[in-house]
Amino acid sequence: MNREEEIVSRLCGAFPFLTDRICVRQKNRIFTDPITREEFEQIIPFVHDQLGFYRACHVVGTDDGDSIGLLYIFSDQDSILLALRESVPKSDPQAKSICNLYPSIILHEREIIDLFGVMVKGLPNGPHYPLPDGWPEGNYPMRKDWDPKKFNKQTMKYEQSGEAKENG
Amino acid sequence: MTDLDIVKKAIDWGTKKSPWIIHFNAGACNGCDIETIDSLTPRYDLERVGILKQGSPRHADVLVCTGAVTLQTRDRLIQIYEQMSTPKFVIAIGTCACTGGIFKDCYCVTGGIDSVIPVDVYLPGCAVRPEAILNAVEKLLAGLEAGDKKKGGSKE
Amino acid sequence: MSSPGRQRKMAEINNNQIEFPIGPQHPSLDEPGCFDITLEGEKVVNAVVGVGYNHRGLEKTCESRTYVQDLYIIERVCGICSHAHSSAFCMGIEELSGVQIPPRAEYIRVIIAELERLHSHLLWLGVACHEVGFDTMFMFTWRNREKVLDILATMGGNRVNYGVNTIGGVRRDLDPASIDMLQKTLDTLEKEIKYYANLAKTETTLISRLAGVGKLSKEDVLKYGAVGPVARASGVRDDIRVIEPYGAYKEIPVHMITDDHADVFGRTVVRILEMQESINIIRFCIQNIPDGPIAVKVPRRIPAGEVIIRVEAPRGEDIHYIRSNGTDIPDRVRVRAPTEANWHGMTHMLTGEYLADVPITIAAIDPCYSCTDRAIRVSSGRDVEVMDWRTLRRYGIDFYRKKGIDLSTLAVGR
Repeated sequence: MNREEEIVSRLCGAFPFLTDRICVRQKNRIFTDPITREEFEQIIPFVHDQLGFYRACHVVGTDDGDSIGLLYIFSDQDSILLALRESVPKSDPQAKSICNLYPSIILHEREIIDLFGVMVKGLPNGPHYPLPDGWPEGNYPMRKDWDPKKFNKQTMKYEQSGEAKENG
Repeated sequence: MTDLDIVKKAIDWGTKKSPWIIHFNAGACNGCDIETIDSLTPRYDLERVGILKQGSPRHADVLVCTGAVTLQTRDRLIQIYEQMSTPKFVIAIGTCACTGGIFKDCYCVTGGIDSVIPVDVYLPGCAVRPEAILNAVEKLLAGLEAGDKKKGGSKE
Repeated sequence: MSSPGRQRKMAEINNNQIEFPIGPQHPSLDEPGCFDITLEGEKVVNAVVGVGYNHRGLEKTCESRTYVQDLYIIERVCGICSHAHSSAFCMGIEELSGVQIPPRAEYIRVIIAELERLHSHLLWLGVACHEVGFDTMFMFTWRNREKVLDILATMGGNRVNYGVNTIGGVRRDLDPASIDMLQKTLDTLEKEIKYYANLAKTETTLISRLAGVGKLSKEDVLKYGAVGPVARASGVRDDIRVIEPYGAYKEIPVHMITDDHADVFGRTVVRILEMQESINIIRFCIQNIPDGPIAVKVPRRIPAGEVIIRVEAPRGEDIHYIRSNGTDIPDRVRVRAPTEANWHGMTHMLTGEYLADVPITIAAIDPCYSCTDRAIRVSSGRDVEVMDWRTLRRYGIDFYRKKGIDLSTLAVGR
């Protein structure tokens, strides 16, 4: 059994709901299918304490239609990356930060708040990142339904119908 | 014209004027910024013709700008421009500074430098070579000497 | 100067603490970023880093362009690590397509990557010396850097953003004249870098200015997720070329350089020794590069899937995520540049340091704002004082000069 298989086996053993929802899709890369907030919160301490993935490299936000995917990527000092995909519904876009275990994720979770509109709770106080000040609320540029052509950069307003007249 | 000719010409007008420059990155990838600093290093050495890089806008004659202007730096760029005393001139270094370049359609980019402040010299390139920067400063000052009203002497 | 938006404060003094903002325009770093720092006496008690000025929103633009068009956008995420970004992007698409690029192309990618590492580290060395008042060395290192840029211009066609990569391989082959020029330049650079290594080991003035500054222990590197030379300077084995070799690195012996000083001096030593290692790697490539084609055709439409690629950029681990949907336009492109990982430890590195050491501590992580931002503060006090970066840098140099550490008097000889 190589190390990827061992990690998959230990995860499925500890969390049976992961069986058939986790695979080695690329060499050294373990991906999960979308898992719920609650499932994700259960797995994280195990990943940190038992599996030794000490570093959260990044969290990639993806627009998956009715939900927003938060692909958390973890690494240890080996070549394997573990990518857990937490899925939050757009109807209730909330998530809990993992910065208590992984302080290295703070800036990346702030990005998810700004760009995807997911309220990540539990982050320490600090400036928002990366959108500019004065950015209109309710505008999440990385969502697929947000059209940059409708955004007037002079007035910083999003025109719901038609393209922005003054732009660039 | 060879590089040496450009330098000789630069030295000629440099003895008459020694413009001090201030550099501002409005949202660049740093390619043009590093080439701008490169023009101060021994191979190109703008300093020997009197061009000095300043830290404060109040001490500078020429504002050298790189990058497509992001929404966050827009106000800061205007403030720096307003802090400079007249006569003041602006050089847009790089294609992104001229027109916004490949980032023009990005949601956080207003466009080139001239979308925010008046520009006197446009210098396209990705990234701009230091020889071209020398050439741009030379053209700017040649334009001033010729009394060209279109270039230089930007309004307060 | 208070600016709108982020409600920047003028410097204030409260309870013996002084707060002042630095940035976003500052002459030394040439990149926009804010640092809000709280001082108690001479020491920093808190530092908040504010980045985001360089956020352009290019990832959204990538979702409406083809992969080929996106290659040129991704290359311009950062002008200094452009090859690292474009290599990672190409590798991701090649992985999704199931395409294996020719071995000769892999070797050319490594040669360019190591040349990029050389010019980036020389750039950093010059900037770091400038921050501590050693301007002679700044001029020397940047003069040497010109030689590397000449080779890159010959091999790629441009000094910066060389555009060597294409999806499926590389665009330009090595010719005997380029190889000859490369070998001669490496011989010259090797002597110069040996001098820098000796300087770092023996010049007490330089050591006393850099040692003990910007400390980040091994535990903190693991906790805050620092990467690249910052991590390696604290004894952490973090080099993707060794941990997960990619491309031609699978066949090339790469020695990971680590150091145990865990401070700015350690980061200096690591970068200088890495330059020597880069020269060795390039020489190995020249001797062992296989013959053959330099690119293969990759279909325009990329099969649906997702991929995570890691490469070792000069600043550290660079992660790219690509999700494809079976068309010629990507569904999602995400770039996590190394500087994003290194910012988290910055507050920790600055806390407890003298104000005089703030410029060199920030410079020592080799920050690239455009990598971070495709997007730091000092606080507390009653009086209002605005200090720009140049003044802060000057303050640092004078602070140490009074202690007898004056780098401007150092003669640079051979």
